[in-house]
Order: sequence, then structure tokens, then C-alpha cells
Amino acid sequence: MIKQLSVFVENRPGSLMDVTNALTEAHINIRAVASFDTPEFAILRLVVDKAEDAKSYLTSKGFVVRVHDVMGVELIDQKGNLNHMLKILADGEISINYIYSFVIRAEKAPVMVFSTDDYEQAEQILKGAGVKIIEDSEL
Amino acid sequence: MIWAKEETLAREEIEKIQLDRLKETAAYIYEKSAPYRKKMDEAGVKPEDIQSLDDLEKMPFTYKSDFRDNYPMGLFAVDKKDLVRFHASSGTTGKPTVVGYTKKDLTVWLNNVARIACMGGATPEDVCQIAFGYGTFTGALGLHGGLETLGASVIPMSSGNTNKQIMFMQDMETTLLVATPSYALHLGEEIRNRGLDPANDLKIRIGLFGGEGMTEAMRDEMHKVWGDQFVCTQNYGMSELCGPGVSGECTELCGMHINEDWFIPEIIDPETGEVLPEGELGELVVTCLGKEALPLVRYRTGDLTRLDYAPCRCGRTTVRMENLSGRADDMLVIRGVNVFPTQIEEVLLKIEEIGPHYEILVERKNRLDVMTITVELIDDRLLDSYTKLSELEKRIKANLKSMLGLATNIKLVAPYSLQRFEGKARRVTDLRKDGL
Repeated sequence: MIKQLSVFVENRPGSLMDVTNALTEAHINIRAVASFDTPEFAILRLVVDKAEDAKSYLTSKGFVVRVHDVMGVELIDQKGNLNHMLKILADGEISINYIYSFVIRAEKAPVMVFSTDDYEQAEQILKGAGVKIIEDSEL
Repeated sequence: MIWAKEETLAREEIEKIQLDRLKETAAYIYEKSAPYRKKMDEAGVKPEDIQSLDDLEKMPFTYKSDFRDNYPMGLFAVDKKDLVRFHASSGTTGKPTVVGYTKKDLTVWLNNVARIACMGGATPEDVCQIAFGYGTFTGALGLHGGLETLGASVIPMSSGNTNKQIMFMQDMETTLLVATPSYALHLGEEIRNRGLDPANDLKIRIGLFGGEGMTEAMRDEMHKVWGDQFVCTQNYGMSELCGPGVSGECTELCGMHINEDWFIPEIIDPETGEVLPEGELGELVVTCLGKEALPLVRYRTGDLTRLDYAPCRCGRTTVRMENLSGRADDMLVIRGVNVFPTQIEEVLLKIEEIGPHYEILVERKNRLDVMTITVELIDDRLLDSYTKLSELEKRIKANLKSMLGLATNIKLVAPYSLQRFEGKARRVTDLRKDGL
């Protein structure tokens, strides 16, 4: 499992930058980022190198931050591989709340991050199908 | 048409009635109501100290908080068995303000409403559509009973359901509309949107408006929407005093005539409590006369106005109060419902996922009041999913709805994004200009 930060951000210019700015001040390295908008606000999802440090710094700056586990899966960079992984989950009746990918990962295979309500089952199914699950230490 | 001869008496005759009834009221409350006796003893005043109308100043004020402190019926001066009606309005905190009526109170009240209906041009021939919300609020049943007392016929429509309002207006040939002015404007525009011209396609000719103030700008707009034939007046009251029927505009449109044989008005400085000279702007304080169930002496209405004792061209001699100029306190009138920011605060403070700071924005969109409350999210557990955040929004809305009886919009923002105040917080922004 991978530690993910969720940060509450309002829909206004500069609100995402406020978060990245604070993380830069705290010398936190951002590895992946995703956000889905609603009319009023968004939840910014981040994978960073030091999740707990990031949370305490952001909280001290007045952000509402949650750290929780999400599943990271390593994919070989080949056509149809995401589809393959999603099919495994679909066959196992695992519902995905949201999914996003790592932007840059020097010399390493791409990673998809997703949230679900049943990590145990998801892990079992993916492992059974030979899909590699990533831990924080491997990022 | 003038409903009662008491509306046209010479000043000294009105004052004689007022003094007789004031003496009776002072003796009545001292005998029948423990909270009043306590207040009067504390103020060092006995019923026999009231020998002239000027002596009214010696009596203590009554506040909305007295209703809260004596909830539900501590201020009542009669046994429950003598009551025939209860009404209730939103209170300042949690509990509503409960009022009660004896049979005589009801008769006096509805006759006073019949008077203000006549002031606004109503006759026994009118077909009256009541578009106030029914329920415990005094507005709907007050106008309902007053118009029936006058001999007009009443359609108890209640508020909302615009299509049905228009259908009844056409099919029943409604001639008189009772509504809040903002709803009347909304309804009129909906009628025009359906290709109808109220002046030619409907029989409507009178609007009796209350529940919220009507500015002159709104009245002008009313004529644009409903046509020049439309006679629109506003009237004033509040449930503590009886409901509607305290005062109303006559068709001369020069202020609201107070039914002075049942209500003594005073204008005071809201800061010092001192009675101000005639014609000055200040807080309206009302003493109810002859009320059995719930006598009320020197009630602080919180409404700012001034009084004019000059006889009116309509023939009435009763004092006129100017259209309200605002509030001495922070009460808001939202879609005709009185809202105190403290009520909103009470709801918000019980919700632990949000912080104690909030802002209230009131706007008028499409003629209707919209209240948006901005709160700071503090609980990170809700960031698991958008569903949790939207459930929080729904819960805040539902709690506010049950406290205020009003739908509100909720806006969640990050902590520390709302302004902090060192002195008195200014949390309310009211963007309604001239009621439009």
C-alpha cells in the first residue's frame, strides 16, 4: 500500500499552488497528483516522499489534510496493460473509487494508484494474477 | 371603506381609550402574570402609578428574550382552558416563540386585520388568494380570518406551487392577493412568462403584502409586473403582538396606520431606551391593550421607524408609522421568515466537522431570497470521498432547515479562509438592494 495525501482545496485561482508551495517549503517531493473538480471545491490527491511530514506541515499552514492508504500497482509500459489490470479488478467485482497515474518515474515502470473500499480483496486478486503491487519504499 | 369608527376618532378620544385600557392592562398583568409582576417590582412601578399615557415610560420593556426565558407559556396570563389558538414563530435560539389567543383575543385580532384589509382597498366582494405559508406562522391564518371577518371569500392556497396559484387565479377569478412582496413579484413574472397579462387576463386588483418590508422600488416594480390597476399596500405585525393587524397602509400610501385603540406605539433610542420626540427615527416599542392570553407591555420590536400623528387624507386619524428603515438588531427577513444569525450559529456549533467561524450572504435571485452560509471544514476524515463531503453539506442544510424552516445553500471552504474579527463580528452580508 502507498500513503496518499488528500487536501481540501477551494475552486479559486492559486489554490493548488498554495499546496505545492507549502510542500516545496517543507522540502517534500511530489510524485503523483490528481484532482477532480466540483463546482465549489476539490480534493487534491497527492503521493509524496514523506507523507506524515507533509501532513504536519500542511496542517500547520491551515490546510485540512488526510493521510490514507491507496493501492499502487506497477504496470509494464505496453499497450493494453491498464486494460488488463482493470479487467482483473472488474472480474473480481472490485469497484474503483478513483484512479490516477504517476507522471514521471525515472527508469522505472509506470504506476497506477487507485482507491477502493476493499483493499484486501483487491490485493488478493491482483497478486493472484501476477500484478505487482508497489509499497512506499519502492517508489 | 373604513372598518371601525375607532379609526377616525379625535386625538383626545383615542387617548382616553388608550389610557383606560392601559390602566386595566397594568393592573391585569400585575395580578395575572408572575414574570410581569417581578419586572414591575424591580422597576419600582405599581399599577396605580399609571395615571396618564406619559406614565407608560415608567413600565419596564419586554424583550424577545422574555419569551425564551418563559418558554413556552410563562408569559401567558390565562389558564390553558381559556385558550382557543396557538401560533409560533422562530425564536432567537432553538425554541420557537409561542403565542396564544383567547376567544376575545381572536375576535379583536381578526377585526384589526379586517381594518387593515379595508385600508388596502379590500371589500366583501373580493376573492382573496392567500399565498402565505400556512402552519404556525400568524400571517396566513391572520389574513385568512381577517378577510373572512370582512365578508370576503378566501382561497387558502399557501405558498409556492406557482402553476396552481395561477390556475386558481384564473379559474376562481381572484381579485386580491396576499403574499410577501418578493413572492408577489416572482409570481407576477411567472404569469407574464406564460404569456398572460395580469391587467387584462386576470381579475386581480389588490395586493396586501406583509411578512417583509416593501420598498418604494418594489412597489414600482409591482406595477410594472401586475399593471397600473394594481393597488398594492403593505401591512405590519408580528406574532408576539398578535400577528398581522398592528398597522397597515391605506391607499393614500403615506405610512401604516396603527390600530391605536389596541396598540400604543412609542419610538425610543435603541441604545439608551429613552423615548424620542415625535417624528424622530428610532426603535418601535409597542404596548398591546386589552389582550387576555398574552398581554405585552412595551415590547421591543427591533424595527426602526418614525411616527406621524397628522390626520390622513383617507379620513383616518390614527397615527401612521413610516415604512420600516431597518432593524435595531441583526435580524434578517428571509422569504418572510425572521432569522437571527444566532440561530444559524447554534446549528453550526453543534456540527463538529466544521469550525466555529461562518459567513452569511443574502441575495435576491429571480425575486426570491437566497441565503448562502460559508463554513470552514476542519475534519480531515471527510476527505476520503466526495460523498462524505456532500453528506456533510446535506446534514448542515437539514439541521438549518429544521431550525429556521428555510432552505439554505452551504459553501465549504478551507480553515482560516474566513475573516476573523477582534471586536463585534460582521458575519452577515445582505446584497438585497431596495428589496429587488
